[in-house]
This record gives sequence, structure tokens and C-alpha cells, in this order.
Amino acid sequence: MDWNSFLRFVRGPLFEASLLVFVAGLAYRLLRVVTLGWARNRAPAAGSRVVGVGRSYAKGVIAWPFIPWVKDTFRGNAVTYLAGGLFHLGLFVVILLGTAHMLAWKSLLGFGWPTLSPSIVDFLAAGAIVAMIALLINRFSHPVVRKLTGPAELLNWLVVFLAMVTGYMMTHHLFFRYEVLFGLHMVAVDVLLIWIPFSAIPHFVFYFFSRTIHGVEHGRRAVTP
Amino acid sequence: MNTREAIHTFVEKTDGWVAAQLEACTRCGICAEACPFYQATGKPEFAPVWKVELLRRTYQQKFTLAGRLRTGLGLQRKVEDEDLVEWSKIVYEACTVCNRCAMACPMGIQLGPLLDEVRAGLAAAGVVPEDIMVAVRKQINQGSPLGVTDQVFEERLEWVADEWDVSIPIDKEGAETLVVFSSIEIMKFPQSIADIVRILDAAGENWTLSRKGREGINWGIYEGNAEHTKLFVKRVLDAAEELGVRRIMITECGNAYDALRWTAPNLVRVPAGLEITHIVGMLGEYVRSGRIKLKAGAADGDGVITFHDACKIQRRGGLIEEPRQILNVIAPNSFREMSPNKEAAICCGGGGGVAAIKTADPYRYAVFGLKLAQIRAAQADTVVMACANCRLQFLDGLAHFNSNVKVRSLSEMVVGALG
Amino acid sequence: MREETIYEHLQREGVSRREFIKYCGMVAGAMGLWATPVLSESARLFGNPDLIGEVIRALETKPRLPIIWLEFQDCAGCTEALTRSQSPTFVDLVLNKISIDYHETLFAAAGFQAEEARQRAMQAYAGRYVLVVEGSIPTGARGVYCTVGGRSAVNILKEAAAGATAIIATGNCAAFGGIPKAKPDPTEAKGVWEIVTDKPVVNIPGCPAIPEVTAGTIARFLVFGTLPELDDLNRPKTFYGTTIHDQCLRRHFYDAGKFAGTFDDEGARNGWCLYKLGCKGPTTYNACPAIKWDGGLSFPIQSGHPCLGCSQPDFWDGGGFYQAQSVPLDRPTLEAVGIAAGVGALVGAGVAVANRSQKKRANEPEAETTGRD
Repeated sequence: MDWNSFLRFVRGPLFEASLLVFVAGLAYRLLRVVTLGWARNRAPAAGSRVVGVGRSYAKGVIAWPFIPWVKDTFRGNAVTYLAGGLFHLGLFVVILLGTAHMLAWKSLLGFGWPTLSPSIVDFLAAGAIVAMIALLINRFSHPVVRKLTGPAELLNWLVVFLAMVTGYMMTHHLFFRYEVLFGLHMVAVDVLLIWIPFSAIPHFVFYFFSRTIHGVEHGRRAVTP
Repeated sequence: MNTREAIHTFVEKTDGWVAAQLEACTRCGICAEACPFYQATGKPEFAPVWKVELLRRTYQQKFTLAGRLRTGLGLQRKVEDEDLVEWSKIVYEACTVCNRCAMACPMGIQLGPLLDEVRAGLAAAGVVPEDIMVAVRKQINQGSPLGVTDQVFEERLEWVADEWDVSIPIDKEGAETLVVFSSIEIMKFPQSIADIVRILDAAGENWTLSRKGREGINWGIYEGNAEHTKLFVKRVLDAAEELGVRRIMITECGNAYDALRWTAPNLVRVPAGLEITHIVGMLGEYVRSGRIKLKAGAADGDGVITFHDACKIQRRGGLIEEPRQILNVIAPNSFREMSPNKEAAICCGGGGGVAAIKTADPYRYAVFGLKLAQIRAAQADTVVMACANCRLQFLDGLAHFNSNVKVRSLSEMVVGALG
Repeated sequence: MREETIYEHLQREGVSRREFIKYCGMVAGAMGLWATPVLSESARLFGNPDLIGEVIRALETKPRLPIIWLEFQDCAGCTEALTRSQSPTFVDLVLNKISIDYHETLFAAAGFQAEEARQRAMQAYAGRYVLVVEGSIPTGARGVYCTVGGRSAVNILKEAAAGATAIIATGNCAAFGGIPKAKPDPTEAKGVWEIVTDKPVVNIPGCPAIPEVTAGTIARFLVFGTLPELDDLNRPKTFYGTTIHDQCLRRHFYDAGKFAGTFDDEGARNGWCLYKLGCKGPTTYNACPAIKWDGGLSFPIQSGHPCLGCSQPDFWDGGGFYQAQSVPLDRPTLEAVGIAAGVGALVGAGVAVANRSQKKRANEPEAETTGRD
């Protein structure tokens, strides 16, 4: 198989299959949790749960969960805050505000949106890659994080990293011919899409559950989350 | 030990609420940075995410297809006896369930309540530290972990009434409010009883104590045993129902408020219309409504005063502003906040049953060291708090570190400023 | 009788020595000039100080190159492009002056006479002629979709290839199947090299192939007697060594993120990059930005139209001429997504229900269901 046919395959049938696995897998993960049942909390609320949820999201989404809201939590694990934040920022900017990706979204959703200049996107992409490397090192050097790191965590890191790094190489035409880089990036993305439902990466879905629960629990007790 | 029971309990407790949060965890380890036990000792096994690992592992092995497959194929170990022993240590000795971890978690995961589920499994398996079980048995058999039986209760209160010249009604008919003390106050801080009685009378409260509902503390919660928790709350709730009161007022105890305000309604039927309150909340209301008047500046002139937020009353109870309102009136020139404080306050280290376990002493003192550093940073001479167990921990800890810092209860401060 | 050399032929036609040298210069230039910098072939050519001398000697001593030009499933566009080239130009020089060709479209003769002429040429020049093929070869239904004189294109090709000294497939159809191969490919169209597997086939893809590229390749074969260095799609690296993207005059707009959004918006009028309008430049190898079309007049991007990728295999199925390259080629339909989500949700719910019954079995009979703290 030459690189052109490979590229056709990973942009074509493999992508379609990966996306379907991704959708089916996420639906599976979501329903597997949601259908477990939810007990009602019968303790009367002391404050507004809605306000609690609003505040929880304001701190956790809009103003970013990578700000160390609780005092003295930064120094001991600064890498996770800084690199985690930089990684997520780069990730979202690249896949949502990068022109090439926006066009892909447009083909799937039917509508597009304005994007950022490639120099900004590129800078943040580089930042995200550096952040990922820092996070990997942290996984082995921080005493707590080391305890929590196993093959699953490393594999998650790897599939995300490969997708990012091949994308970066592609943008900068590094080392290989463009169609080769394009093919590598697409296959990395396809593998990532397939792997996501089997991993801890769906935290981007369950995040909304935990953040809402957080807001409800604090609102119930009239405490600022 | 019955490890199967532990696993069954974990499975039983894992509903959508638990599962969604277990799934949300990204193993980032930030929760550890907020945990006073990890911060004070540096032991990675004290990280909150590690403390709940048993629950997560069971979820993965029992509830996910991949987990079932891998355990079935022998690719991963099931939860075994050694695991329960190992986790019993970290979950009971190195956690006060202060839930500070939940505030730091970027996902907002409620690690405290999840840890309660772990304790439930360990309790079902019978792997609870003996020091805790001693207290539990005492409460089952004598009605109080400190041995405050019916008789001791009456004798003690008689003495308090006499000693401080106050009138303490027990099982009074027609009372609106059932006041529930903790045996810590009864046995260790009898003056607090007198203080609170004076405040209630000054506020014109129509109140009573109850023989049956004499104990607010709930060692079923520390053990993690729902049956025992239920048993202990029922004693208070039944007493309230029999007396026909409109509300229950918990005095200076965080665990009691946790048990009756937030836990009881999900375990038993709380009598309709019965309000569960805490003295801190009531104090705030008395001051706001003018039912009690405080002399401005009454506590000034005796050095710097700071306030310690008790985990179950402030962060988990929401009664954060009331102590400030009071202290700003009675000590406007002396009151200084610690940092961090309020909902992000650092636990004293003595709650959650930890103070009862002798082998946990080194961790408990280490955590108190963090507290002491805070007090010193605020240059405080006096620390005020609204939880009797915190008071015990502070007195013990300050002595341990040879500190001259004074400890006062909030009620004590209020009584001293009654105008 | 010795065959007359190219120089002798040109002399007979009234070309002076000075003009002849000029022609040799054109040939020499055409073989290496529009190569991308660091390719071994061009480096070798450029490094040769006596390149023109080599060309002169070749044309002085070699006879004209016989070319047999076959057309199958095609539009004759590649031929049209060649013949539309203005004269005197390099193309004209190569095809009219230094080679003899047997070209069905250009022949005055037709039918049996044309067939006979071709057969005679193939016999006379057996082992010496260059076979140039235009158009794809249909293989479906035993090749019945393209027949000439009652014979299938497949057979005609095989016969002609057997006696050829070199085979050149000009145009995307002959190289890779071209438009006849576009989905659903009813005739099972194939490129020459998929049918002729025992000899090297030089692919000169394009839609049409750039005339100077076809002619330049023929000239190179004439001068050196060997095939040029080819890439992995058998295209001469001299002309197909870089992408349109890497030589594009609008590349700085791409790098700066300035894209035309529609064909007549401000960006388009300012000559901005056409990536969003579907330009396939980044993955297309050809010499368009350097050689251009119509004697160096312009090429699609310069005129404001995105590159179609016409020198690449399957460019008709490349997602659409106006679909950006970053868009996936195959996308699931909404129905497929719905079904996938439904299946996933069902299995997930099923597993959750199984888990719930696990919980019931684990539950002690007398314990109440607990609420959430």
C-alpha cells in the first residue's frame, strides 16, 4: 500500500468507522452510568442548589478548573495545574479554533465559525505538546501521581500525544512528505477516537456530572463551591 | 474478616451518583494537595484519590465489561483481605472526612462522601479499628461513647445546674426546641453547658433536653455503619417526636449536626415539620433579630482573636458567616482571620474518629502542626471555635506543641458579651 | 541505409546551425530547468557543465525518435493541450521536429489505413519506438467498453507494449485511471502500469498533463536513452518532485492564515490562499506553479481557482473540488450516527441493568435503600 492509498483509507473508511465507534462507545459509557439509578437526597436544602451549580460551573468551566482555588494546593503539584491548564487550552484552541479543524467540524455539523490566526494556534499547539511532556515526567516524579499511574494512564497519554505531535509535524512539514504526515495524523486521530470510549478520557463527559453534583452539594449546604 | 461483604457493600453503594464521579476522576492527584494528612506527612497513600481506590477498583472490576474480562482472565487481582487491612488503616487513621479534597478537585468530585462508602464496606467486612468499635459498642449499650448513661446524664446536669446556678429542664412538656448536647460537652466542657443555657434563656427560647435524646454524637458515622447510624439518630428523632418539639438544636458538635441535619433524612423518616438546627445558626439568628444583644467590643483588649472553622459546621454545614458577624461585634479590634479559612479551612485533625485511634496520634499531631502554623501566622493569642471535638483536639495539640494559645468556644464568647 | 539524424532532418527542413544550437539549448533547459532544487537527477544535470554539448551531440548523431501514440478511454485533452501549444515552442520542436509519431487523433488517415500505418510502424521500429498512451483502459466485461477496430483496448495495449522501448502514460487517465475510474467506476478503468507489468511505465499525470512535461520527458529519453528518476508513483521526479503547495505563489497567505472564504469575497479578490475553497495543493505533486499552462501564462491557483489535485490518483474521488483537504473523506450519515448512539446506549443500559441486579443480589434483604448524603 502506498502513502496515497493509505491516506485515502485513514481519511475515508477508517475515519468513518472510528467516528461511529466513538459515538457508540460514549453513548455506552454514558448510559452505563446514568442507568445505575440516582437516589434522591431527602435532606432539606439550606441554600440554592441552582446557585451552587452556577457557581460550580463558573469556577470550573468558564474560569477554568486549573486555577488553584484552594490555597496552598499549587506548590505541591504546580506541574499539574500549569501543564494541565496549558494542555487543555492548547487542545481546545487547536481543535475548535484552528482553521483546518473548523472546516472538518463544519462538514460534520453543517456550520462553521471564525477561527484564530495560525500563529496563535500554532504557538498554543506547541505549548500543549510541551505541557504533555511535562505531565508525563510528572507522572513518574510526583509521589502521589506515580501511585496513580499504570498502563492505562500511559496509553491515554500516548494516543493523545501522537495525535498532537503528528498534527504539529503536519503543519510544519517536518521530516516527512506532507501526504505521509497527513496519513500519520489521521491514523493517530482514528486510533484516538476508537480508544477514547475504552479509557478515562470521557472525563470530558463525566466532568459535567461531577461539576453539577459539586454545585448541588454545596448549594444544598449553603456553601460557596 | 469478611472481604466478600466489603465487596458487596461497595457494589450496593455504587449508584449513578458514585459511578459518575468515579468515571470523572482523571488521576491527577490534586486532591492530595488539599488533604491535611498528606500535606502534613507527605505520605502518598494518604492522597484522597488513593483512599477511595478500593471503591474504584471494585467498580471497575464488577461494573465494567473490560474489568470483568480482565479479572476473569486473571489479568488483575481482585480485592483481597490484605487490601482491606491496608485500606482500613489509611481510611480510618488518616482521614477526618473533612472534604477539603472535594474543593480542590478540578472535577469537583465529592471524595469525602465517597470515602464514607469505603468505610461502609470496611465496616461490613468487620475491618474497623478496635478503638472505634469500643466507642460504637459503648454508644449502643450505654447510649454514649463516653459512657453518659441515663444516670450519669442526670447527675452531671444536676451538678452543672448547681455549679453555675442555671436551670436545666429535661423532658419538659410543651417545649418548642429540643437541645441536644454531645457527651464531650457534658463530660469535658461542662461550663459550655451553662453558657449555652444562659444564651438560650437570654433569647427567650422555649427549650428542653431529653433523656432519650441526650447524645448528639453518632459513632455509626465514624464506623461507616448505616445500621448503627440509624439507631443513634432514631434515639434523638424519636425523643423529638415524643416531646412534640418544633425543632432540634444541636449544640457545639460538628458530627452531631452532620448526622442529624444531612444524614438522618436519607436513612429514616424525619418527623414532618421538624427543623434541624445548630447553635451557631441559632446564635446568628438571635443576634440578627435582636433576641440577644451583644456588647460591642466586649472581647477586645485581650490580644488577637482568630476563628477556627470546624469542617462539619462550616465547610459541610454552611454556618460560615454567623461566627464572623458575632466576633466582628464583640471583638472588632482584635478579630483576625486565619488563612485559608471559611469553606477552605484546614481541618483540626481530630474529627472523623481519628482522635480515638491511638496509632493515629502521629498523623493527628502532624495535621495539628499545620493548624498551629496558621495560628502563628495570624499572630493570634486566642482561637475561637464552635465544635467541642475541635476544642479537645486543640487543647491536646497545643499542649503537645507547648503552645500558650488560648482556646474558647463561641458560646463562651457570646455569654461573655451578653448585654 | 543509415537513418537520417535529427540534425540532418532539421537541416533538410531549412533549420540553420544557429537555430539548431538554440533548439538544443531549449531541450537542455527543458530537461532540468524546472526541476526542484535538490533532486539527484537535477543535481546531476546541473552539475554537468557540458549538458548542452551532450544534447547537441545526441541530436547530431541520433535519428528521430519513433513514437506511437495510442488513445483509449480519454477525452483527448492531453493531445489537445499539446497541439494547442504555440509554435515554435519546445513542444512543437519535440513532437514535430525531433520525433516521428503515429497519432490516431492527428492522423489524416482513419480506419483501416490508420490501423495499417500503426502496425507497419510497430514492425519497422520494433524495439525502438516509444509508446505514449492517453486515456484509461477499461477492464470490466472483458474489456468491451473500449474497442478499436473490433479489438479491446487491453489487447491493443499489450501488443503495442511488447515492442516498445519505453512506455509513457500521459494524463491522469492513462496513469491512474482518471475520470473513468471515478466512483462508481462502471468500466473498471485502469492505468497503463496496472496492465503492463513487465516493463517500466513512466506516468505523466495531470488533467491534462502539462504539455512541456510530456515533451520534456520524451526529449530526455531521446537525449539520454534512459528513463528519468521516478517517484513511487512512477512520475519523473524532475517535474513531480514537489507539491504545488511548496511552490505556490500564495503560500505566504496560507502561512499567515489569510484564506478566501468564497469565490468573490475580499480574500479572493486579494488573492489569498484557496485552502478553504478546496485547494489540493498540499498533497499534489506537479510542476504547475513553475511551468504553468498556455506557455507559462498562468495556472489554476494564480487564476483564482483551487488546485484539483489532477496529477494524483483518484483525484475525482478526493472529497470534491471545493471541499477543504482537512475534511474527512467519508463521514457517517446522521442515521448511522443515530444507530451507533442507539446501539451504544442500549448496550450501556443493558450492562447497567445487569449491574443493578448485581447490587440487588449484594443487598441484604432487611436493609432499606439509602438516600444520598
